[in-house]
Amino acid sequence: MSSRKVVELFYDVVSPYSWLGFEIICRYRNVWNIELKLRPAFLGGVMQGSGNKPPGLVPNKFLYMTKDLDLLAKYCGVPLQPPSDVFEAMFQKGTLSAMRFVTAVQQQEKGGDKQVEQVSRELWRRIWSEDKDITEPASLSEAAKRAGLTDGEIQEVLKLSTSQEIKDKLKNTTEAALKYGAFGFPLLVCHIDGTPQMFFGSDRFELMAHCIGEKWLGPNPDNSAARL
Amino acid sequence: MSSRKVVELFYDVVSPYSWLGFEIICRYRNVWNIELKLRPAFLGGVMQGSGNKPPGLVPNKFLYMTKDLDLLAKYCGVPLQPPSDVFEAMFQKGTLSAMRFVTAVQQQEKGGDKQVEQVSRELWRRIWSEDKDITEPASLSEAAKRAGLTDGEIQEVLKLSTSQEIKDKLKNTTEAALKYGAFGFPLLVCHIDGTPQMFFGSDRFELMAHCIGEK
Repeated sequence: MSSRKVVELFYDVVSPYSWLGFEIICRYRNVWNIELKLRPAFLGGVMQGSGNKPPGLVPNKFLYMTKDLDLLAKYCGVPLQPPSDVFEAMFQKGTLSAMRFVTAVQQQEKGGDKQVEQVSRELWRRIWSEDKDITEPASLSEAAKRAGLTDGEIQEVLKLSTSQEIKDKLKNTTEAALKYGAFGFPLLVCHIDGTPQMFFGSDRFELMAHCIGEKWLGPNPDNSAARL
Repeated sequence: MSSRKVVELFYDVVSPYSWLGFEIICRYRNVWNIELKLRPAFLGGVMQGSGNKPPGLVPNKFLYMTKDLDLLAKYCGVPLQPPSDVFEAMFQKGTLSAMRFVTAVQQQEKGGDKQVEQVSRELWRRIWSEDKDITEPASLSEAAKRAGLTDGEIQEVLKLSTSQEIKDKLKNTTEAALKYGAFGFPLLVCHIDGTPQMFFGSDRFELMAHCIGEK
């Protein structure tokens, strides 16, 4: 059996298209011969480092994306619902604490990334489905609890998430994304015969499949998969 | 047989992703139950009217798009090759004359849009495959000749393309795109039960198919 192709996913829970890309690639983890490496990072840092601006700042783009996300949510089976105040949630409150929290979960998790995956999903659910806060420690704790972490683990992670070690780790992952040439998320990096190949957005899976020698079966490859 | 769904394609030959979208939707014209309406427009006007900026101005985007277009070109079977000086071709020289020319072709064409399609394709081929000019009348004539227009037709279209009538027509089509909410091209507008549904980019065909009940 040929060795698995490493696929890195750089994401930030502030990004709705990242949620789509995340759910889709997670579904393909047992369909394609890949090794998925989750890379929680900070989109604000990527924007700043690449001199890009959030697309939603262009009025026509914001209007289009709202409808686009609604259609994609239904098509992909992801319960996306914009928060009541998108600008407040995304730009004023932001996701720095949340992504430090996810980074801390990853740091303390042993043997796999089930917790990172679940905590990320629960944070997305809060901001991009249930219109809830993800900046307060209580909010992060609720998400982690729903993700299956014990109270003890949650306390550990909360404490760890404000440490210099974790701040640096999030910064380093963000820098790694910029080093690949990132300007936004989601960013998938496939390692094909040692060469990294970038795929930006949640709409390059068909092309990506072709490049890694796999077959694209749509956003729901396993029809019997449980809905979120 | 149910009535065909109208699909409008707003495009400008300055845009490589528009070439991809154009070739793909043209291939589906006889596969899906659609009526394709080509809408040559001016991307510069859409950028200005929507307050957007060309993506290539962000360095990391420019680098990414170069590789992305190369992969997509091979995957989609479109002979995309960037011009030797992308910024000169796209921003300094631009495509105002070219899109007025295409608009004039469409104005004088009777019974269908075969000429509009072919001229558009030949213009894309010049700028986005053969690194050739598309601003001079001689360049536009060459493209039209390869597209099958007669010398007489070419002269007519060249003359018409600088008229106020054609300048206004291109402006109106550009305004129509903006009215739909455009911020870039390609823009496909599917009319589903009387309601227009927008699909931006050359990467929404799977979703679009699902929305119009096709595969």
